Amino acid sequence: MLKKRIIPILNFNGSSLIKTKQFKNPRTLGNPIQSAKVFNARNVDELVFIDIYATVEKRKINLDLVKLIIDECFMPITIGGGINTINDIKNVLNIGADKILLNNALIHNQEFVKKAVNYFGGQCISASLDIDRIGNEFFIKNNFKKRIFVSDFFVELKKLNIGEIILNSVQMDGTMNGFDLDLAKLISNKIDCPVVFVGGAGKLEHIEDLYNSGFDGDLGISSLFYFTQFTPNDVKRKMENINLPVRLVH
Amino acid sequence: MVAIIDYGLGNLKSVKKALDHLKIESIITNDKNCISNSDFILLPGVGAFNQGMINLEKLGLIEVLNHEVLIKKKKFLGICLGFQLLFEKSHENGINKGLGWIKGAVVKINTNYKIPHMGWNNIKYIDEENYIDTFQRNFYFVHSYHVIPKDYSQVTSYVHYGIEIVSSIKKENIFGTQFHPEKSQKAGLELLSKFFVKC
Repeated sequence: MLKKRIIPILNFNGSSLIKTKQFKNPRTLGNPIQSAKVFNARNVDELVFIDIYATVEKRKINLDLVKLIIDECFMPITIGGGINTINDIKNVLNIGADKILLNNALIHNQEFVKKAVNYFGGQCISASLDIDRIGNEFFIKNNFKKRIFVSDFFVELKKLNIGEIILNSVQMDGTMNGFDLDLAKLISNKIDCPVVFVGGAGKLEHIEDLYNSGFDGDLGISSLFYFTQFTPNDVKRKMENINLPVRLVH
Repeated sequence: MVAIIDYGLGNLKSVKKALDHLKIESIITNDKNCISNSDFILLPGVGAFNQGMINLEKLGLIEVLNHEVLIKKKKFLGICLGFQLLFEKSHENGINKGLGWIKGAVVKINTNYKIPHMGWNNIKYIDEENYIDTFQRNFYFVHSYHVIPKDYSQVTSYVHYGIEIVSSIKKENIFGTQFHPEKSQKAGLELLSKFFVKC
């Protein structure tokens, strides 16, 4: 049986690991290479590393540093931040990444996304979507102040044949107050590729709440691993207790 | 020495990193002499089937691979796309011809489950002796197509994902896995170290 993936999400600002709260007020967490080493030793299922300011600061991701991170990992690793050409993707894959993460390009440069999927295959391209909640409505956060309804965007996204979708809840990000269960309900059964849900996990019960809401995808976690005593294996043991398939490494 | 075939597709560096870690000597190459002089051949690959065949053809590698593997019987490992390319044909983006070393075809995974089949899944061995056994049985998969061999006696393991999927095959000196041992931590490293024993 396919196991639920528990994926640490590492956010980077160009020099250090950081953790934001509702996408603001970044708090410094230290050295990404050291962090990758720890997660590799803990046999995590996958790792996602994102330079979250590369696009807005018009930078490319620091390949030398990313290579040092990837060198520590024997699990699949996804890299994102400032990727907007085929060459960018080649550069990241050439240092050992398995998947690349697109965010901005999904909204303003779908021609590039199509080209990337054709060239590298959909399994290599992950979509990272930041979901803004206004009242009871959900929008795709973007740099162009466009109002994009989540449900409409999923229809568009489907045509792009992307391998997986990583959903970040802006309002719950870094709060450790639990996942946005309304969002989880909204997206259940709407997406036919793998989905990674991110934003809000602060205790193990939150994970139980998420799966009880009907969500059946994978988990992305950041604050819980940095600001509490819980390890990826603790999360998995909790999931095993509620009869979810996980890969427990002893 | 393991020749890791560089045909412009896939995660060559991940494979090399895994072999380096195991202190197995390897080289990423598309040089015919280098491939002829190697002890083992490894065909990795992530990407589209037809692009894989086009690239192998463009680099003139099909002849040398046929010679080394089918005639000289050099030990060979194909991973993911490098495994699917061993079959006669694939239905990915129209019907495309493969290397044809193993009889059968590559078809889309026909299930209600989410596609691609992505993540860690446990495999079931058919014949323990015929397979390089490992203690751990969860391997990392990422694929939307799977192989349908003509001769099921060559199948060494299956994985369940809505349907039964062939996850590895062994035919004489030819071995192939649908999963990615190079991405499967301990289980994958163990499998690779047992496969490339004499490097």
